[in-house]
Amino acid sequence: MNADRNDELIARAIAGLPYRKAPGGFRARVMARIAAEPAPVFDWQAAVLKGMGILVAGWTALLGALSAGFIYRGISGWGELLARPGGFGQALDLAKAGGAHLLGKLPGAVSLASDLGRVAVYAMPPWYEIAAAALVCAAVIKAVPGVRPAAGRI
Amino acid sequence: MMGGDEKELVSRWLGGDAEAFGALVELYQDRIYSFALRLLKDQSAAEEAAQEAFVKAFRASSTYNPAYPFSSWLFRIAHNACMDALRAGGRNVSIDTEDFPEIPDGAQRPAEAVEESLDEERIEALLASLPPIYSEALLLQYKENMGPAEIARVLGVPEGTVKARLFRGRELIKAKLAPSDATAGCPKP
Repeated sequence: MNADRNDELIARAIAGLPYRKAPGGFRARVMARIAAEPAPVFDWQAAVLKGMGILVAGWTALLGALSAGFIYRGISGWGELLARPGGFGQALDLAKAGGAHLLGKLPGAVSLASDLGRVAVYAMPPWYEIAAAALVCAAVIKAVPGVRPAAGRI
Repeated sequence: MMGGDEKELVSRWLGGDAEAFGALVELYQDRIYSFALRLLKDQSAAEEAAQEAFVKAFRASSTYNPAYPFSSWLFRIAHNACMDALRAGGRNVSIDTEDFPEIPDGAQRPAEAVEESLDEERIEALLASLPPIYSEALLLQYKENMGPAEIARVLGVPEGTVKARLFRGRELIKAKLAPSDATAGCPKP
């Protein structure tokens, strides 16, 4: 009972507190600030850049997930082989065979790479296109982590 | 509850009448400034936060839902402005995680003694000594006549959290009102 009465008294005391008068000219200052600060407009450019950034991040995540699957399968296969009795020797033989196979393919790969390089040099986009692409990438990277402070929330 | 005049001012403002918003500022300036002052305990910071709240409210007219009271929407913006000001001032404001200050195990005082000690100056000092999350809940309930559901909307926390804050706030005040020398009369072993 005493506690309830005390709660009531606290409630009454807080309710009885007077409002403090806002400093003189408060309203005028608020209205002046409203008039002075331009209303924020919807930033289409930032929205488009953010959309592009989300697309890039999505693709990266998808590729990462797929690569992780391949890597996991490779590691688990090699792990299984190594775990068998005498598996280390077998794994070594397999690695040697794989190396020899790759060496056999190396001249072909070098030839393909040089062909691709020649094509790339021939079909290289002009410098200004490369510069524009770099600028777009930089803008996307800058726009994506647009985390708003609490001040931006309503 | 919105009075007829206030309702009309709000609808005129939503219709694009900036002068109507000026009248709303006039109507609410003391309430919002007092709320900010009691949380921030600094006149210039309170004025800045209150102005910020009104400017943001003006800009965010599209987010106001007329189904809810204008006052609780405005107090929500003011609450955010005050929390930002407290954080900017380096104050640790518990919003996401509740902090529970220790409540001293004070003896219950008789109601008459509490009544005598709760004058305006004392209750102001007691509110000022509470962490802001408790003082604002108490102010919104008792000074602004808001219920727990409305306070929950203003503070952006669940209703249960509001009730817990109100309870803790009252308990802290009662503990601070308890005589520090409550055990002074006890015989020494």
